[in-house]
Amino acid sequence: MTGPTNRQAGAEVFDLGYRHYEGLREGRARARRAVYVNGLRTTLGIGRGTIPKVLAILMFGAAMVPAVIMSVVVSLFEPAAEALPSHADYYELVSLVLFLFAAIIGPELLCPDRRDGVIHLYLVRPITPTDYVAARWLALFTVTIALVYSGQLVLWTGLVLSASDPAEYLRQNWLDIPRILGAGLVVAVFLATVPLAVAAFTERRAYAAAFVIGLFIISATISGALTACTESGRSGQCEQRVTGGAAKWLSLVSVGEAPTRVNDIIFGKDDPGFGNDAGGVSTELPRPVPVLWYALLTFGLGVLLWRRYERIAA
Amino acid sequence: MTVLLEAKSLTKQYGPILALDSVDFEVGDGITGLLGPNGAGKSTAIKLSLGLVHPTSGSAEVMGRRPYDSPEVRERLGYMPEHDCLPPAASATEFLSHMAQVSGLPPAQARTRAADILRHVGLEEERYRPIGQYSTGMKQRVKLGQALVHDPVLVFLDEPTAGLDPAGREDMLRLVRRTGREFGISIILSSHLMNDVESTCDRIIVLEGGKVTEQGTVAGFTADTEVIVLDVDDKREEVATALAAKGIVATLEGPSLTVAIQSEEQYDDIRDSVAEAGARLRRMSPRRRQLAEIFRADR
Repeated sequence: MTGPTNRQAGAEVFDLGYRHYEGLREGRARARRAVYVNGLRTTLGIGRGTIPKVLAILMFGAAMVPAVIMSVVVSLFEPAAEALPSHADYYELVSLVLFLFAAIIGPELLCPDRRDGVIHLYLVRPITPTDYVAARWLALFTVTIALVYSGQLVLWTGLVLSASDPAEYLRQNWLDIPRILGAGLVVAVFLATVPLAVAAFTERRAYAAAFVIGLFIISATISGALTACTESGRSGQCEQRVTGGAAKWLSLVSVGEAPTRVNDIIFGKDDPGFGNDAGGVSTELPRPVPVLWYALLTFGLGVLLWRRYERIAA
Repeated sequence: MTVLLEAKSLTKQYGPILALDSVDFEVGDGITGLLGPNGAGKSTAIKLSLGLVHPTSGSAEVMGRRPYDSPEVRERLGYMPEHDCLPPAASATEFLSHMAQVSGLPPAQARTRAADILRHVGLEEERYRPIGQYSTGMKQRVKLGQALVHDPVLVFLDEPTAGLDPAGREDMLRLVRRTGREFGISIILSSHLMNDVESTCDRIIVLEGGKVTEQGTVAGFTADTEVIVLDVDDKREEVATALAAKGIVATLEGPSLTVAIQSEEQYDDIRDSVAEAGARLRRMSPRRRQLAEIFRADR
């Protein structure tokens, strides 16, 4: 049916009919990349109206603010800089913002596809359930790690520039770079895994987000109530509701603190010589315990997420 | 006929429910109808053929390979589900372009294909609007479009006319016929509506209770016997009685009489019966039987 159908003023309109596609087919690799890029766009609110975009910008802003404030404070009070919060404290300071970001955005990557039935269209294409869920996880992980590293980068830049001798500062603190990278990785892997594992079991974004936020808050509250100190009578001494070995282990109940405890170990904050009690009672646990607990939580939830999608396909 | 899909002893059990019971069928080029009442196992057969679910036993091979194990085969398959499967916030052009990429097309080609297909399914003007604002008919067209956007070899359409009004149904069936005949894309169309299948398909596979009860060409089904429609001014009962005396069963159908012809000689018998009854014959014409009649007669 090819041919000119109209000739006017030298113009020709062709009805080309249906044309078969004879170009390149990039198969599974392209499919994975497409799902990943789509996940990145969803995470950043691109192509999704105003509210998701504003939310993503606000979260980025909220994660940057502590880094900027810390940099400014250090530059103003440089002599007392060692007593001020630094890289080791950054993740703990922004953890609430990071958790909120992951809890709100994470379910957005999985729930709508199942609720709207789009998942079936993905699974009949050259992509496996594992490819799909891995691409979605990687998208959230990419944005989360960019978020956590950006804050540390701002803080690092601020600290270097405010030092009286930046070169000397770099020489003395170069070990902070691998620590920042390692701890950021720990935080980002955890934050990308937990919300997606929860989101895999509900089609409602709000339920998944509420569950994740609730999990962090309730587990932290329970842990705090059981292990926090209260002042006792005249002595003003610290009294724990649960004492001894039990308190150490109960401190692990706080799920949200799992990555920050590993962060403390990476930066050596759990060392008694570090000069503070930031680690709380959990620092009294043998070092491998918080690390193993973190690995168990993250790996276990990751497997749960993967198995859930394998079952959807079966 | 090039065999595109071959099911061998295909069985699927969901707990205590046997959805498909060791069915065998082959599907080749052209448009094949999967016909059966709700719950007959049509959607299960499609999902098994696409690799969306695993068979309990037996196999379904598309182009010689099992789709579940072969992303290369899935690259060339299209699927239009019966249920909702569209993201309401995305525009049709954005969604089709994304789905083309998930089928393996590079981004630039995916965008071009999306625009082409949306033109073919009649959504060129509406392509930038969010899908959530579309009517049911438009959503069905987007569903068909996403199944075609990567230029598949074989497309599975599960109840494509579901929820459409008569005009929308006819438009959708016209699109399906055009896809099969003009675009040269082979189609498996599942429906519980015989008219849809009869007006669209070349071949039919009938499923009932998880088993294949009939299969063959539409022409084969409808050409087995011929029905003659007799329009007489009056004395219909007398004509029917005269026919009965000659061993011919006539059925009163509105203002007409219908007779299932078994042999050439019966035409003479009909002529003689009308004359004997003294009736005035207005029209005597063959009527092509509809699938619905055949299946009604079988039950």
